Amino acid sequence: MRSARYLLAFLASFAIVLTACSQQPSGGNGCPAGASPPCTSTPPPAAGKPTYGGTITFALENDVVDFDPMRSRAFVDRNLHYQIFDSLVRIDPTGKIIPWLAESWETSSDGKQVTFKLRKDVKYHDGTAFDAASVKWNIDRYRTTQGSQRASDLAPVASVDAVDQYTARFNLKAPYSPLLATLVDRAGMMLSQKAVEAGGADFTRKPVGAGSGPFRFVEAVKDDHITLEKNPDWWGKDKDGNKLPYLEKIIVKPIVEGTVRTTNLRTGDALVANNIVGKDVESLRSDPSLVYSQGPNYGFDSIYTNRKKGAAFEDGRYARAVSMAIDRQQIADQIFYGTRTPGYGTIAPSHFAADPTFKPFEKADPAGAKALIQQIGKPLQFEMLVTAGSAQDLQVAQLIQAQLLKADIKMDIKSLEFAQILTLQDKCDYQGATLIGWSGRVDPDGNTYSHIYTGAPNNSSCYSNAQVDKLLDETRATSDEAKRKAAFRAAEQIYVVDDPARVWYLFRTTQLATAKRVQGLVPYPDGLIRFDVGWLQK
Amino acid sequence: MTQYILRRLLLMIPVAFLVSAIVFVLLRITPGDPVLVYAGEERDPVALEALRHEYGLDQPLPLQYVVWVEHAIRGDLGRSLRTRQPVTQAILERLPKTLELGVAALIISVGVALVVGTLAALRRNSPLDLIATGFTIAGVSLPNFYLGIILILVFSLAFRVLPPGGYADFVTDPVDNLKRLILPAITLATASLAINLRQVRSSLLDVLSQDYLRTARAKGLGERAVVLRHAMKNSLIPVVTIFGLQIGALLDGAIITETIYFWPGVGRLAVDSIGGRDYPVVQAIVLMSALAFMVSTLAVDILYVWLDPRISYGRRTG
Repeated sequence: MRSARYLLAFLASFAIVLTACSQQPSGGNGCPAGASPPCTSTPPPAAGKPTYGGTITFALENDVVDFDPMRSRAFVDRNLHYQIFDSLVRIDPTGKIIPWLAESWETSSDGKQVTFKLRKDVKYHDGTAFDAASVKWNIDRYRTTQGSQRASDLAPVASVDAVDQYTARFNLKAPYSPLLATLVDRAGMMLSQKAVEAGGADFTRKPVGAGSGPFRFVEAVKDDHITLEKNPDWWGKDKDGNKLPYLEKIIVKPIVEGTVRTTNLRTGDALVANNIVGKDVESLRSDPSLVYSQGPNYGFDSIYTNRKKGAAFEDGRYARAVSMAIDRQQIADQIFYGTRTPGYGTIAPSHFAADPTFKPFEKADPAGAKALIQQIGKPLQFEMLVTAGSAQDLQVAQLIQAQLLKADIKMDIKSLEFAQILTLQDKCDYQGATLIGWSGRVDPDGNTYSHIYTGAPNNSSCYSNAQVDKLLDETRATSDEAKRKAAFRAAEQIYVVDDPARVWYLFRTTQLATAKRVQGLVPYPDGLIRFDVGWLQK
Repeated sequence: MTQYILRRLLLMIPVAFLVSAIVFVLLRITPGDPVLVYAGEERDPVALEALRHEYGLDQPLPLQYVVWVEHAIRGDLGRSLRTRQPVTQAILERLPKTLELGVAALIISVGVALVVGTLAALRRNSPLDLIATGFTIAGVSLPNFYLGIILILVFSLAFRVLPPGGYADFVTDPVDNLKRLILPAITLATASLAINLRQVRSSLLDVLSQDYLRTARAKGLGERAVVLRHAMKNSLIPVVTIFGLQIGALLDGAIITETIYFWPGVGRLAVDSIGGRDYPVVQAIVLMSALAFMVSTLAVDILYVWLDPRISYGRRTG
């Protein structure tokens, strides 16, 4: 009798909790849940004339690790870099490279010299002027500082000359067509020498005065907030000739928990976010105070299939069998709710070299996979390493496990700590497979070369194919876009289908969720927000 | 007594050394390379080697430990491998925030436990006792991360009365600071509240059935005096033991709560640093946490003397 009363008391208190969590929003606009094909939408055109002023709170998925573009390794850092620093060139929302600190550029006929004409009206936040000498100092710093994360990006650069005050010439060791795309990002960001030297060892946490971008760094309190303020002397102007930026202040809040990020948007405590968990998208779309948009992105998700001698995928046909057997659309719909799309390789839909008809494994073909394995003779069984604590990775692995079973492929899931998996990947010391995502780069080279080329740092499936290496070298040596496109496509046919390096299964999308009164922001394929054109409706 | 305290304080030094050595060895034998973790997508082998050298990770282990101890004695706990922030600064920046959250949770937990636990014990099997017991079971059963998100959904999203996490500086905006404190403090307090409430209730029930209380009542003392002056104090010894352990655990107990409410405290720093093999930060946090445990158990031992005069740490004089 007494235990029955305890049970009642317990049930009563639990009921309170359950009622509370079943309060879901109903009705709404936008795309239906699990829309297929994924509902890609752009934000509505800006309403009315931009107005100056206001503060935007930006909910970021993690805290910035390094403000210094030279040391930066984490993707999340770039969300702040793009507001504080200007780079020599940038991309427009379609991915086309556009002038930025460099007004124009010219490549010599032998492809070994690239000359940049620089803007003359640029000042760093600490007041020092930007000129060709500053370009040389920055590139040399990136190239030669011990431990610089940009050294490999700029490895093809032999030297930089300041031809005159506003002309900088890059001398290359060999023709290197991805150079411009490299200079869009961190390797092309320009910093004030005075500010860097004054910052010393603390510079990467406190980049005071170092940038020339639309917003100035004010303060950063680790895991709490980062404050940026308007740079009133920025050179940028909108299409009507008004000075940019419009916004007075940006406050960045690192919120690791995805659901909490969404809640902060819905309560108005955050006005902008660009990393939304798939299952939360529907609740944002149906919230009348918010706008959710989604566009193409350079990033991909893949499975490292270990091709090293003695590993489960030494015979590349096994990797092809896995590629054939998995149902990409199902993964995109069921786990990512349409926030990612079926993917087939390293060249993303918004890359210039993309071939929209290249969909080698569009329909899952477990029967075909089964036949292929029978042809090889030995059944396939392998181990998939999954990061412990990542619910999403585990879901993906479990779904793939079930899909492979239809082709009689047995996949065992093993959870390991992230740090441990990295060490195993680094030496290809895992038995079967691991999951690996990539945030994407402007040029397909950045998505491909370091992943596929023999011995390259991100080639953790230990893949090696002489024909592919030759084609990838070709894509770097020629600046002729048509020739590059052909070489990229020929290589992709080999490393995805004929002799697969690994299994690619998704392309990512750029997400952008804002309060309705936030105007002017558009999704870029690199996933990063440009706040210089953003404004707040009064 | 003073001698006893001094001796306990001195004992902390070898214990601290032992803890630091054990943590040092454990961290290094755990698989995973900090340089690879922080490399992220940038895996250029030359840059990685340079980083390893910069962090001193290419030195032999014993030498790394000696260097660390040498610096630590001078008060320099090194820099975070990941953020380059001095470790002391990283911890000092967060400690007050974790303490604020922890103390608030402790006040809620202990305060509610004492009041409700006492009432539940006095009115055994009454509706109040049943409700308290129900909450106890729910509180122990509900994981922190679940309760945290439920509270946010209810109070921040549905009723919009409290902000969904974050931290505001107490000096510049005390009201906002307290508003943001409420939900995480309740979340953090719930699990320990359940344990404390049970403890207070059963301990008091135990004492209430003792003979000396019957004597007290027979003397003609009022019920209030019997409970507050005679029963309470005696029932507190096991309760204080548990409270003491909780103070020690304040630092690391907040890990999940701090993540959900993005409260910038030491708990979150600990999680990030362990996952990322940020050796200097983990070493410092474990050391600090060990010290906190030692100090709080000492405080509890001293409290015993006040609660029960029969306990004495001085030299026995017969």
